[in-house]
Amino acid sequence: MAAFLIRRLLHSVFVVLAITLVIFVLVRMTGDPVSIMFQAGEPTKEAITELRKNLGLDEPVYVQFGLYLKDMFTGNFGTSFRTGESVIDMMKEKMGATLLLAFGGMFVALLIAIPVGIISAVYRGSVADFFGRIFSLLGISFPNFWLGIMLIIIFAVKLGWFPASGYEGLEYLVLPSVALGLILSGILARLVRSSMLEVMNQQYINTARSKGIKEWLVIIKHGLRNALIPTVTFIGLQFGTLLGGTVIIEQVFSWPGIGRMLIDAISQRDFPVIQGSVIILSFLMIFVNLLVDISYGFIDPRIRQEGGKSE
Amino acid sequence: MTTATVTNNQTNPPIKKRGKWSKMGRRFVRNRWAMTGMFLLMLAVVSALFAPVIAPSTPDKADLRARLVAPSWMDDTGKSEYLLGTDQVGRDLLSRIIYGARISLLVGVVSVLISLVIGVILGLIAGFYGRWVDDLLMRLADVQLAFPFILFAIIVMTVFGAGLWKLILVLGISNWVGFARLVRGQVMSVKEMEYVQAAKAIGATNLRIIRKHVLPNVSSSIIVLATLNVATNILLEASLTFIGLGVDPSIPTWGGMLADGRNYLETAWWVATFPGIAIMITVFGINLLGDWLRDELDPNLRV
Amino acid sequence: MKKKVGITACSALLVLAAALGGCSSKPADTSTQANPQPKTEAQAPAKNELTLGVNGDPHSWDPIDTFLLDWSTVATSVFEGLVERTTDLKIQPGLAESWEFKDDKTLQFKLRKGVTFHNGEPFNAEAVKFTFDRLLGEEGKKGPQQANYASIDRVEVVDEFTVNMILKEKDPVLITKLAGYGAVIVPPKYYKEKGDEYFNTHPVGTGPFKMDSYEKDSKVVLVKNETYWKQGQPKLEKVTFRFIPEATTRLAEMQTGAIDIMKKVEISQTESIKGMSDLELMQVGSPTVYSIRFNTSMKPVDNVKVREAIAYAIDADLIIETLLGGYGKRVNSFQSDMSFGYDPNLPLRNYDPEKAKQLLAEAGVKEGTELDLFLPGTDATFKEVAQAIEMQLGQVGLKVKLNLVDSSTFTSDLIPKGKAGHMYRNGWGGWTLDFDNTAYLMYHKGEFWNPDFHDEKVEELLKAERSTFDQEKRLAAFKELNQRLYELVPDVPLYQTINLWAANKRVKGFQPPADERIDLREVSVE
Repeated sequence: MAAFLIRRLLHSVFVVLAITLVIFVLVRMTGDPVSIMFQAGEPTKEAITELRKNLGLDEPVYVQFGLYLKDMFTGNFGTSFRTGESVIDMMKEKMGATLLLAFGGMFVALLIAIPVGIISAVYRGSVADFFGRIFSLLGISFPNFWLGIMLIIIFAVKLGWFPASGYEGLEYLVLPSVALGLILSGILARLVRSSMLEVMNQQYINTARSKGIKEWLVIIKHGLRNALIPTVTFIGLQFGTLLGGTVIIEQVFSWPGIGRMLIDAISQRDFPVIQGSVIILSFLMIFVNLLVDISYGFIDPRIRQEGGKSE
Repeated sequence: MTTATVTNNQTNPPIKKRGKWSKMGRRFVRNRWAMTGMFLLMLAVVSALFAPVIAPSTPDKADLRARLVAPSWMDDTGKSEYLLGTDQVGRDLLSRIIYGARISLLVGVVSVLISLVIGVILGLIAGFYGRWVDDLLMRLADVQLAFPFILFAIIVMTVFGAGLWKLILVLGISNWVGFARLVRGQVMSVKEMEYVQAAKAIGATNLRIIRKHVLPNVSSSIIVLATLNVATNILLEASLTFIGLGVDPSIPTWGGMLADGRNYLETAWWVATFPGIAIMITVFGINLLGDWLRDELDPNLRV
Repeated sequence: MKKKVGITACSALLVLAAALGGCSSKPADTSTQANPQPKTEAQAPAKNELTLGVNGDPHSWDPIDTFLLDWSTVATSVFEGLVERTTDLKIQPGLAESWEFKDDKTLQFKLRKGVTFHNGEPFNAEAVKFTFDRLLGEEGKKGPQQANYASIDRVEVVDEFTVNMILKEKDPVLITKLAGYGAVIVPPKYYKEKGDEYFNTHPVGTGPFKMDSYEKDSKVVLVKNETYWKQGQPKLEKVTFRFIPEATTRLAEMQTGAIDIMKKVEISQTESIKGMSDLELMQVGSPTVYSIRFNTSMKPVDNVKVREAIAYAIDADLIIETLLGGYGKRVNSFQSDMSFGYDPNLPLRNYDPEKAKQLLAEAGVKEGTELDLFLPGTDATFKEVAQAIEMQLGQVGLKVKLNLVDSSTFTSDLIPKGKAGHMYRNGWGGWTLDFDNTAYLMYHKGEFWNPDFHDEKVEELLKAERSTFDQEKRLAAFKELNQRLYELVPDVPLYQTINLWAANKRVKGFQPPADERIDLREVSVE
């Protein structure tokens, strides 16, 4: 187990470093932040040189990268070109909102997927299964911004049930979570259904039934519990997709999260903010996947042995 | 976005091919889901292939004075000659949707083909060479997966500008991981098998091993993954237009029409709604097919 | 089949919403039981509170770090300059009661007495000196505002309420510039104590409202400045600005009544606003002008005949009438009719495709010649305009290819480097409302915005206009300049924009500002 952990950790370090390099080079290809900052004025040549020096952009790229790495290891992700604020502080401020949205989306997805999946599996081939499957496939047939806009128009403007946008309280979380979670719920419902089908055919289910346990108890206690394992793994793997999805959803719902900060930062060429947030986001994803791997390894030791091979 | 597939590394003995496919064909015809999916997808495919024949007009003929004209069946004045109305610069919406099928399918299919080719090649390399090559490629896959796709797309499109082929390329190069992992897993398990070792001993080339033992066993999973990715990529095109990085608005893409029409929802709902329905029908159709294929082909999920 | 799918989707959504509604309303209910007050408050919004939906968050409130209109929409209520500009763009005294030129290079200001900053610090000559020392010194170097005030050398304190501004060179539009962002007065003690970073997010000025709280990308709350120097103002107790980037969402918030005023109504949304009886659509002429500019060093548009042909081939009137819904005004040059230097007698090139074809033939341009047109991908309205232009130029035999690009790349990289194709969209505000700003930046050789155009005569006229304070002479120079530019066609001026706002009818005294700087002092709600 220790060897597996160490190996995985080393991998993660490598991946974070590689992402740092990629994003560092990519942002520098997006253009010169200095000329954007001066857009409206009539800058002198000296002013431009001076600003570039202040921002540390006058050094060769490899020197900049070296300095950045050095700072990164001490937990310093630099300061925003635009506001001078520390990137870490900005992330701390925004991370909450984004994670809340991501968990909200996850919650919605599970809330829909589990009942739909179970019903589809238990009453396989029935009308309920039919609608369940249609629903789970329709869920992934909309672009998410469109879904968001439609939810706002229907449930905020026409019906007035929920606020359209903003970040004030729990009721504000509902529509963005649905917009984010609905897409995932389609895939999840499908997964729950097939896992349930698999589990329900196992010997121990029949044994439980033959003991005269009530059917719904069998389903929940023996069926669902076992069917949830692949679901949980899958959720871990989808965490990245979910975080990516927040970029668009935050824009539609004026949600003050990392996605919006990033889009702004990209359009303003705020290099430290882009770099810092992409690195931290990736880090988060790697961390979640690592957790999934490890917990999975505990549940099922066979995977641990194969860990190096099939991750 | 990247659907990390749970790979099935367990080796399936080589299946007798002909029987498998023809049986599948019969089951296909009997399956309502699959037939419906095929029918919906064919709507788009036929539109794409025969656009000039079907479409009442060309997709770029515009008349500013006839912008946002209502669909003919809901126009009481009886003046509208457009079945689905006109868009914001006065082009026939129906014609644009029919021609749009070409672009949307092109985006979906070509980008997935790119991912597939990259993925299969890298997967084979990783599987056959093993050791550090494998390690490196798999870490590269981790990097790709950990980098949020939409950000990657935004940054790349910011650097190189928007455009149809750039968009296809971006979608293509960021979705290879699933394919690579499938192929690599298969190569790894096949390599260890005795009859493959034996074949190798009597001088079978790697190419032959790939053809005889690797591809037949992963082809079904690849088909499933590819189908589902086509659907996702059609949707992603729309999302990129939404954040201002789509293709030239004179090229009719469903996603572009949907995103650009969103401000007219209340006054000229048809501008965005019909392209939205076109996307939905097609993606739904592809998903129905993909879903069925998965049930059929992925033994792990077949009960 | 189609119908069935639609119904299923809808019913599924409804079920889903009901389920969620059930679980989310629980916490709300408990809070109502514990304390019934908030709910009633939410239903009937307290008097004299206003909520605005704006499109962008400037992220930094420090006036010398910014050039964003988003900044000014909010910060105009927090900060004030020595002079201020009214909503219809006239200059009037602000924190200075009067000013006069002592000589060519000395400008003396008499300051308003009895004004305090929001933190209680007094406003006086020291504060003015500190403001300009900061703007013109090291601190200012880091931001984009310093360059606008390069003509000022320093500020000297004469007595507590008098300062002299010493100039390096003549600057005919200096007074207007002093109403600009970078010249608003900041509190010296507060700034020194709290530091630059704190000031970015906790700005303090002398304005009618003070900043109560700021949540990045979400909202900023302003409360009444009880000790504001203008009697009886402001009328509102509390103002909330919410940052809502997506126009569709802003409109939805307007319709639900969550916001009272909406900034940046898209032209495509005007009918929706008009359709609601409690909302009012408001329009205001803006100084921003849109034009198609040419890369005059690129074939075939290096030929003036081709440029002229394109000007004749674009039907700007039709575009304004249809795509802009009438919310735009034709202009004859790259400046608005509010600009000093606008010549109403200069002719317009009216749509004449035959003449265009003839000019193209004379220039030897073949049918089907391809031209690249660059525009930013986020400008929804101009995307439509560009498609109309593509179609209209197509009718005279030119094949236009539209290139959508990221707006920052476009303005900071492609245009200044001459990489924006044969033609590109350019929108310019000319914030000083004097053609000097636009003309110099657009036509003077070697300027950031002008990588290719050069004409000796134009250079001469620009020099003439800059070297005098005599407005008559300057106007004459501008007149000649306009004529020269009309002949050379370095750009095709399309239209001057009209900004659209929406306001709930319960809002009284609101005037949409031409420069996006909202004056909330006289605004109240019913």
